[in-house]
Amino acid sequence: MPGFDFSNYNRNAALHARGVPLPKATSTGTTIVGCIYDGGVVIAADTRATSGPIVADKNCEKLHYIAPNIWCAGAGTAADTEFTTALISSQLELHALSTGRKPRVVTCMTMLKQHLFRYQGYIGAYLVVAGVDPTGTHLFTVHAHGSTDKLPYVTMGSGSLAAMSVFETQWKPSLTQEEAVKLCADAIEAGIWNDLGSGSNVDVAIITADKTTLKRNYIRPNERTQKLKSYAFEKGTTAVLNEKIIRKEDISKLVSVHELTDESGDKMEVDV
Amino acid sequence: MADRYSFSLTTFSPSGKLVQIEYALNAVNQGVTALGIKATNGIVLATEKKSSSPLADPSSLSKISLITPNIGMVYSGMGPDYRVLVDRARKVSHTGYKRIYNEYPPTRILVQDVARVMQEATQSGGVRPYGVSLLIAGWDEGILPEEDEQLQSREEGEGEEKKKVGGKTGGILKGGPMLYQVDPSGSYFPWKATAIGKSATTAKTFLEKRYTEGLELEDAVHIALLTLKETIEGEMNGETIEIGIVGPPADHLLGVEGVEGAVGPRFRKLTPQEIEDYLTNL
Amino acid sequence: MYLDVYSADGGACVAMVGKDCVAIACDLRLGLQALTVSNNFPKIFQYGDHVFLGLTGLATDVATMSDLFRYKVNMYRLREERHIAPRTFANLVSSSLYERRFGPYFVSPVVAGLEPKTGQPFICGFDSIGCIDFAKDFIVSGTATEQLFGMCESLWEPDLGPDALFETISQALLNAVDRDALSGWGAHVYIIEKDKVTKRLLKGRQD
Repeated sequence: MPGFDFSNYNRNAALHARGVPLPKATSTGTTIVGCIYDGGVVIAADTRATSGPIVADKNCEKLHYIAPNIWCAGAGTAADTEFTTALISSQLELHALSTGRKPRVVTCMTMLKQHLFRYQGYIGAYLVVAGVDPTGTHLFTVHAHGSTDKLPYVTMGSGSLAAMSVFETQWKPSLTQEEAVKLCADAIEAGIWNDLGSGSNVDVAIITADKTTLKRNYIRPNERTQKLKSYAFEKGTTAVLNEKIIRKEDISKLVSVHELTDESGDKMEVDV
Repeated sequence: MADRYSFSLTTFSPSGKLVQIEYALNAVNQGVTALGIKATNGIVLATEKKSSSPLADPSSLSKISLITPNIGMVYSGMGPDYRVLVDRARKVSHTGYKRIYNEYPPTRILVQDVARVMQEATQSGGVRPYGVSLLIAGWDEGILPEEDEQLQSREEGEGEEKKKVGGKTGGILKGGPMLYQVDPSGSYFPWKATAIGKSATTAKTFLEKRYTEGLELEDAVHIALLTLKETIEGEMNGETIEIGIVGPPADHLLGVEGVEGAVGPRFRKLTPQEIEDYLTNL
Repeated sequence: MYLDVYSADGGACVAMVGKDCVAIACDLRLGLQALTVSNNFPKIFQYGDHVFLGLTGLATDVATMSDLFRYKVNMYRLREERHIAPRTFANLVSSSLYERRFGPYFVSPVVAGLEPKTGQPFICGFDSIGCIDFAKDFIVSGTATEQLFGMCESLWEPDLGPDALFETISQALLNAVDRDALSGWGAHVYIIEKDKVTKRLLKGRQD
């Protein structure tokens, strides 16, 4: 469906055979979790994106929109989670328009798993799918190879063990919304502190029958302390060999755009 | 391959006409009237929901469709052809635009895409032209006409030596309401107000009299109902009239809170109750 | 023979947000492993009044991609009768890269520009398969990535004016590439403001 272009594949494979490492993709090392409560479902994520040992993005978004009532938390290859969820969101929107119904979480989960299974794990998207639809509240995990699970509380990503330890010690049936949000946020924090692939802030999404509330940076336990002194350089510090200033007016000397008033009356029109 | 030996059914007559397209227009001109009026702050699309039998269930029928959150569409002519075009328009707005730019197409781009589909049916083998005319209404993000005027006048005041750059926000960089008509031939026209279908001529004459510059959306809905009243065959109520509006963002339809930059859909259909309310105030 | 496509040709690029302005800068080296081939290989390309793209990585792909986007942006401008907005361009770059998910171009693009309607600064970076990194401070790419991260984290501060931003980005780049054998040899710096763009050529070490 996305129509990948493989035309560089052979070149890259040839380079690889000569010892060239394949490009480093941004990965969301990641802790992501989800938890059902009485009246809805909560998903949460940390906000660190990594490229090898480098922190590529200190405040990225790992909670992806699918439909107003269905959201996804993504771990694995960042580009894959981003584009897979966007593709399924697009297909689901068209599906919802043509059926005239709200999209269902199982539909979303099935489309995701079929798409990922087709690519045999090469699309490295590990997702927590959550939502509320006319059939009820749902929470799934989808793995890159296409397998799925349905559980009352789930964790994924490199921080999943740290997060799961929180759920396994503190989860109980029939949580309230506040308890579920607290539990999910605590689980993410466990990942932030104990997993090197996860860090920065906690994002939370609360999905209920009537609306979804996204709490971006719900907890910010890693605020950067302000610099006490400025490193701003004095004007003229840097040696400049040449300077060119391009102004809009200069460009309009070369180009002029004229709006034609349509009073000429002799418009060309060939109509049957 | 079956398609290797398929020939275009639309061929020129010796006088230079494409009669198949004229026949398609005839089909449109037998269709139920639909109209659109552009206001300063929005657009209204309106049509009659005519059912052939009193036994028909009108609530299951829908002639005005949402294409993207900011674009809506209505037709005159053949219902089945319209449904195909609605599906194509929705699909192309995703595959040809949203999946590339992560935003919905501006109205004119969508109109061009739909027009291309309709034009291809006049030149391809084994197909007939679509038997519909469309009214496509949408709102484009960009610089609104009145903001543009302010911008122009401010720049003129700044310096005399500066050459006046006319319409530098020209083309479709202009934001605001857009109303287009698309015909079976694939030609399209922008309108301030227009009508298509059986009583298009009567309706357009009426609109010419009623339309004023600087119209507000509420007035436009009013005029739309009055125009429809002139041409309508059956009774006018919330069940027999369909109205779609492009107005201010309907954030209550968004379904999400706390998403940075999320704006509600501008296009929505009025409920039968809302239509009744307008009718009682007519 | 060992050859890393990302460091085969060398190069560095950085973008920064200022107050009502943005800056994007690149070095000028083109190399063949340790051999410097050219000291005039700019890596920043302009695609509109206020839209700039920096491309580092394999030079052949830098050339291919800059041409590809020139084509795509020209087609966009003809079709839509308007300049592409930086955010829209960023999404175009992203989807174009992801299309080659399983046979990528070896590039790490950086986009910098001003939003046309609001004049707000916009910068973002990408990995080679199109994952966007929207940043509110700075974006770095190329062989001097690690050095640039360090420089930017310490030098950058919010709400720098165009002149201060120029000094900051220039010092960040120059001092980063001095500790990278594969990049340097002078630099280009663009300061993008609402009604003017200033392009400066910097003096850098030639070793």
